[in-house]
Amino acid sequence: MELRVTESSETELSIEIAGEDHTFMNVLKGALLESDDVTAATYDMNPEQSGGQTDPILTIKTEPGVDPLDALEEGAITVREKTTAFRDAFEAAA
Amino acid sequence: MATDYDVEFVEREDREARFLVRGVTPAFANGIRRAMVADVPTMAVDTVRFIENSSVMFDEQIALRLGLVPLTTPPEGEFVEDDTVTLSIDVQGPATAYSGDLVSSDDLVQPADENVPIIQLKDDQRLEAEADAIMNHGKNHAKHQGGVAVGYRHLQRVEVVGDLDEFEEQESQIVRGVVEDDGELVPTSEFDHDLANRYPGKEVRLEDVPEAFVFHVETDGSFTVDELVTRAADSIIDRATELEDAVQL
Amino acid sequence: MSYKCSRCKRDVELDEYGGVRCPYCGHRVLLKERSRDVKEVGVN
Repeated sequence: MELRVTESSETELSIEIAGEDHTFMNVLKGALLESDDVTAATYDMNPEQSGGQTDPILTIKTEPGVDPLDALEEGAITVREKTTAFRDAFEAAA
Repeated sequence: MATDYDVEFVEREDREARFLVRGVTPAFANGIRRAMVADVPTMAVDTVRFIENSSVMFDEQIALRLGLVPLTTPPEGEFVEDDTVTLSIDVQGPATAYSGDLVSSDDLVQPADENVPIIQLKDDQRLEAEADAIMNHGKNHAKHQGGVAVGYRHLQRVEVVGDLDEFEEQESQIVRGVVEDDGELVPTSEFDHDLANRYPGKEVRLEDVPEAFVFHVETDGSFTVDELVTRAADSIIDRATELEDAVQL
Repeated sequence: MSYKCSRCKRDVELDEYGGVRCPYCGHRVLLKERSRDVKEVGVN
């Protein structure tokens, strides 16, 4: 997983996540939006209809005083925890 | 953040199952579904060496058919990417070559079904070939899709709201999936998908239960449903962990 | 080059001087057999 920051400021971050698709990005976006520290989160795939760019670009806006990179880390942790919880629940039922 | 999930099986077999998950968001449900279809690797034939093919079909056509034969996928950790397993087939006509005629070099990788026809051979026709199977993902080629027919629906709650007029003819009310009736989970196939059969003379109301999804999962035989679901979850966990590590740098 | 005569079904070796003709029965229709090489095909 290669990350490339395309835009960055105090409370806003655009980052390209190479090799990922809707499967992971939509789950991550959903997890980010659940956080109170995040005011906006979205991702864009293939902004240029044809030609090179196909890796998703994730954009996060945060509340003042919150580093968007920390919010992203928090989001990844949330996804991991949720999925692990789902896996455990599934195995318990299976 | 500790999320509470609740999983309950409605129907369950090795290759096909229906289970209810409570407490998931639509985004998460779709992530799991997509991971099952595209991100869980399976074994499939990728190259074929033809020693003899006097059948009526081209080598390429038979190679494609061999590629689409579902193969059992070894347990995680048993196999690393780029490993190959060789399967050989040798059938002399008059006969039909079936997937069961494939002889594998590895006990863990076998045709999932024995009765997939590959080609009919007439007198004096012969098919002799060696096929190399590799592990890959569904997003690269449909032959590597472990989950076929994977989907989910909202759980629907039925509520009896009253009686119909005595002389009114009851209209059929079709639902598909699983309904919840007073806490009991009922697959709609039990009443022919028509609520009028289950509640004759009653007026019923249906509503989606929020954050409750009924998954229907069917595998091609590469592994069991349990295996598919846990591997799909693992693939998302792996990516989340990878992102976590990448961000920390 | 090896061929098979379409009339007498015998294997025929042709050289560049003999012309296209079966040396056994004189038939002028010869069929090229599939080579015995192992052919490798990718599954796409």
